[in-house]
Amino acid sequence: MRIAVLSFAHVHAPTYIELLRGRDDVELLTADPDAPPDDPARGAALAERLGVPYLAGWDEVFALRPDAVIVTSENSRHRHLVERSAAVGAHVLCEKPLATTETDARAMIDACARAGVGLMTAYPVRFGAAFAALNRAVEDGSLGPLVSVHASNNGWNPAASRPWFGDRELAGGGAVMDHTVHIADLMDVLLGGEQAVEVYAQANDVLGPDVGAGVETAGLVTVRYPGGVVAAIDCSWSQPKDHPTWGGLALTCVAEKGIVEFDAFPRLLGGFDSTAARPRWEPGGDDLDAAMLEEFLDAARTGRRPRPDGEAGLRSLRIVLAAYTSLRTGQPVPLPDRREDNPGRIHPSE
Amino acid sequence: MTQLDVALIGAGGIARAHLPAWTTLGARVRVYAPDGQAPTLASEFGQAAVASREEAMDGADVVDVCTPTDTHHEITLAAVAAGAHVLCEKPLALRAADAEEMAAAAAAAGVRLYPGHVVRFFPAYARLHPLITGGGLGRVAVARFTRTGRYPTWSGWFADPTRSGGILVDQMIHDMDIARWLFGEVVRVHAHQSGHLTAPAPEGAVATGTAVLTHTTGVISQIVGVWAPPATPFRTTFHIAGTGGTVRHDSLASPGLRIVGTVGTGAAEGIPAGDFGESPYTTQIRELADAFAGGPEPRVGAADGVAAVRITAAAADSARTGRAVELLPPLAPEGAAA
Repeated sequence: MRIAVLSFAHVHAPTYIELLRGRDDVELLTADPDAPPDDPARGAALAERLGVPYLAGWDEVFALRPDAVIVTSENSRHRHLVERSAAVGAHVLCEKPLATTETDARAMIDACARAGVGLMTAYPVRFGAAFAALNRAVEDGSLGPLVSVHASNNGWNPAASRPWFGDRELAGGGAVMDHTVHIADLMDVLLGGEQAVEVYAQANDVLGPDVGAGVETAGLVTVRYPGGVVAAIDCSWSQPKDHPTWGGLALTCVAEKGIVEFDAFPRLLGGFDSTAARPRWEPGGDDLDAAMLEEFLDAARTGRRPRPDGEAGLRSLRIVLAAYTSLRTGQPVPLPDRREDNPGRIHPSE
Repeated sequence: MTQLDVALIGAGGIARAHLPAWTTLGARVRVYAPDGQAPTLASEFGQAAVASREEAMDGADVVDVCTPTDTHHEITLAAVAAGAHVLCEKPLALRAADAEEMAAAAAAAGVRLYPGHVVRFFPAYARLHPLITGGGLGRVAVARFTRTGRYPTWSGWFADPTRSGGILVDQMIHDMDIARWLFGEVVRVHAHQSGHLTAPAPEGAVATGTAVLTHTTGVISQIVGVWAPPATPFRTTFHIAGTGGTVRHDSLASPGLRIVGTVGTGAAEGIPAGDFGESPYTTQIRELADAFAGGPEPRVGAADGVAAVRITAAAADSARTGRAVELLPPLAPEGAAA
């Protein structure tokens, strides 16, 4: 299968390339024509370092008619690459958030549907074995109905290494855009696609300074679902820059029969590193990106619908866009009750 | 310290935490409880039970109000009228106007009124305060607090929002007070509550609350409260991030002593105790007793109790109306300490 990685703007591009480049069943192409020419972390320099073929422009990539693409451009630059990919019949894995506006996300979903190609949103956290076990316990009723969830997805400020993350136009926002969607997607799984009916958010930019004006670096988002479940989220870029690990994602489910704590990136080894004069931190858990890529490759090979799809990406994007409206108004933002479109998971108690 | 004469009103869970502290400090305590539980509790600590509130308050230096929240206002006003200082269990009242009236009455009578915000005396929170206010975390951006304990089904009034205010008020006032203590006045509150929110609450009921506080300093705080299924161990956590790094705490993460096997009963504790140092209730009551005896102002005052009620009442309003509630800057209560 010929797979093109489109743009190195996102920090995940090299991660995906490293996971795919050694495979016998994958022929990898890359292109990053919008990269700043002098940036050694992007463009031809990065491709050379990773040992993967590099093409000078988008036209060259699409002329080779890839079977599948991975879109890792800046958030607001996903749409044009997804539309061009669909036009040449390539299945798409698109970095999250799917887009920065509902219009763009809808256009991408429609373009892929018209072309008969799959559109997958890159939400790796749902692929962990521990999360699957949590989801089974919710699904089979052994936990009882969910009451509420509190979750944090904190990390380094990505604008420190990739300035566009702090650019409202290119990123669509700051920490609220970058991190809320991961937890919104886990809620999407746990609630079977039930869509939020209300979002409240507060944010600030105290933890600068690598961001543009009006771009938030810390945020708290509260999401209410029609069945009464409430999710309280800390999406801040609050991991100190010299911390030994990038951050993490943890989620606690309070249900009627018990409380479950999920850590997507548990620490496997601790201790102290005297050389670096900081705590030792060896991560454990599954390779979530590898599991997500397996799903994408399998869906692309068989032509089945990938999960999470573009609609899942749109559902979590709607929550984030409502959060930005709430930041402007200072009030919770109601979302239309879409239960008829998507009935969600039927709880055993119902 | 001169021996204090204390009237303890109520003989439930919190009275059971306060009485040993008073006893340790050498106070003479008369216990009165309308539910008839006073003799059992008093005799356990070698103190006296009396048959009426008037008899308990007569000549008392201090009245310690350990009754259901909806009775705090009336009992506190009676204590103030009797010329006694008052330790009133949190929340001071359900309504901000009631709490304000209690503070004003105490100030007018020249007696001291302190709310039982005991979490300020738990070691992790007591250490956190100078860390934050001393700039150890730089400029603070965002904080989150959780508090999980079993649903207080042992006493029916907790589940009744007209008596306790429910989880948003009764339980989450602890961390709302801590957030205000650390990060300053609160100007906006948004809250939700879910689960079993009415009386009676059966054994096995679950309720949760979530609130977001916006402080005048720009800090944002998330407060999560859980009234959990039986056998859930009591646990509190916090995580705070600022320009100078982060600070976190998990009350279960690093116990000074852990016992497993068949020696324990396994039952979750309803009222938390600190580790093996002094009980935080004793620390609290020692500091308040010193103040009652004419010593320095303690780390918590009536104005803090009133402000905490304003925040919890706003949270309850928010949960009821679905709106974020704006709070006006507090008025300086007449006669209250700055």
